[in-house]
Amino acid sequence: MNPTLIVASIRQRLASPLRMAVLAALVGLPLLPVAFAPAPGLWFLGDSMGIALVVAAGAIGPDVSAGVLQILFARPVRRSEYVLSRWCALASGSALVRLAQIAVATLILAARGSAPASHDLVSLVVGNALTPIGIAAVLVMLSSLAPGLGDLGLYLLGNLAGLVLEFWGRVAGRSFLERAGDEVRRFLTPDVDISPILNGGDVPWFAIVSYLSTVTLCLAVAVVVMNRKELSYASG
Amino acid sequence: MRALDRVSLSIESGEAFGIIGPNGAGKTTFLGCLLGFLKPDSGRVTIEGREADDLEIRAATGYLPERLVLDRWMSGADFLRYHHALARLPEGRRERDVMEAIERVGLEPESARRSIRKYSRGMLQRLGMAQALLGEPRYVFLDEPASGVDPAGVVLFRRLLGELKARGATVVLNSHQLEQVERVCDRVAFVQHGHVESIETVEAGARVAHVLRVRWSAEGQAIAGERLAAIAAESGAELRSATGSEARFAVSADEVAARLLRGLIGAGLAVVEAVPEESRLERLFLGRPAGSPPPPSPEAP
Repeated sequence: MNPTLIVASIRQRLASPLRMAVLAALVGLPLLPVAFAPAPGLWFLGDSMGIALVVAAGAIGPDVSAGVLQILFARPVRRSEYVLSRWCALASGSALVRLAQIAVATLILAARGSAPASHDLVSLVVGNALTPIGIAAVLVMLSSLAPGLGDLGLYLLGNLAGLVLEFWGRVAGRSFLERAGDEVRRFLTPDVDISPILNGGDVPWFAIVSYLSTVTLCLAVAVVVMNRKELSYASG
Repeated sequence: MRALDRVSLSIESGEAFGIIGPNGAGKTTFLGCLLGFLKPDSGRVTIEGREADDLEIRAATGYLPERLVLDRWMSGADFLRYHHALARLPEGRRERDVMEAIERVGLEPESARRSIRKYSRGMLQRLGMAQALLGEPRYVFLDEPASGVDPAGVVLFRRLLGELKARGATVVLNSHQLEQVERVCDRVAFVQHGHVESIETVEAGARVAHVLRVRWSAEGQAIAGERLAAIAAESGAELRSATGSEARFAVSADEVAARLLRGLIGAGLAVVEAVPEESRLERLFLGRPAGSPPPPSPEAP
């Protein structure tokens, strides 16, 4: 990975006022009920998908569409280095934003005398760090395949397709369709639930291996696609 | 659609090599292959015996694309720092190199601190040139470098190209500005309909027939048309037209033009200007039907 590319990717995100405004809303609005609801709790924060999508959408596609990659790849930078650096920047950025939100919510809850149980907090922190990292890998892959913000479209379309399959399978009594839909959605939003470990249960090896294989597969596909991409003025 | 085929050429180290041809001829495709952005279906592009996209080669390469798209959220100076770091140039030299590059392309230090979003087309091109020259690259690929640049910028770019050549960099220049190519390049490839029609030395244009426009002082000695025609015939040229203190002569080569000028001056004319109607490259390549043989050129490889 290339530190210059990682820093540039983060600065690029910070330089987008629209993205920052949406992110501020996604981070700030759920904190209001945490601060003011009669029965506060971390569940008001919802899941980390929104933050991950806002931070990581357009991971590669806009660079391809705009044509900035030509001048970048004229430098001694491997394409795999570019892909992995983008992922590292977007994954760590979205995970850090989510963890900061959880930290603020925890402080608010503690101030209100409703501090969450430590094992609940650990489970939430680990899960909410891993999910954005996984979603960032998926978006990097989709972004290598689609120009502009096409990765976001593909992500939402894939989730919708998964939901339709699940619903159809349930209605038609076809369990394999239901399972297929579930798998599609789990692939698009990789996560690991570590609560069994915290509750004294077994290590969820299947979930851990599934998560790692999804992230690895997505990054490998993105690297292969970028390596095969020819950069002409018509690209994108 | 054919985009180049059977191209086979070698560019010497330290050579300035021009690529010219009409729009859509495949010049940029050719440059894309040289830079390793486009993979040829067959054949190879090697630089110092390595693949064109070898990282060591890229570390020694500067590139200015025709359609320059920069990361517009950066300031000009940030953009140069970014490329300085990507080029693996020493961090300790970064600020000095960036400021020197900004000065070299005639950008104000104040404007370098502004967002690239606010740059004019000409400023963008200057910034692009500055990034291409960072670290004094051994190989410089320039695609229409003076596109969108004001006249002062064109002159500046011409000087920068001269400096590149003087310090022994290998320059590949794709430009529609034939005068710029002629001044800088040692050899020129004429690309048309997707393939290289011919490769010529710029000097070869001196041996091609062209029209020379000669102007002399109106206050000096007058001369009759018949006398002009006679002087032209004696020197191997042909008078095309004559009006007042100006005449046009058809000459077969630069040597003939030199004899003609000696004859005119010898006849008492105060010659103040002698300008070919076409540059040497225009003579060489333009107006020649596709596929027709190039003019004889003993120096051409």
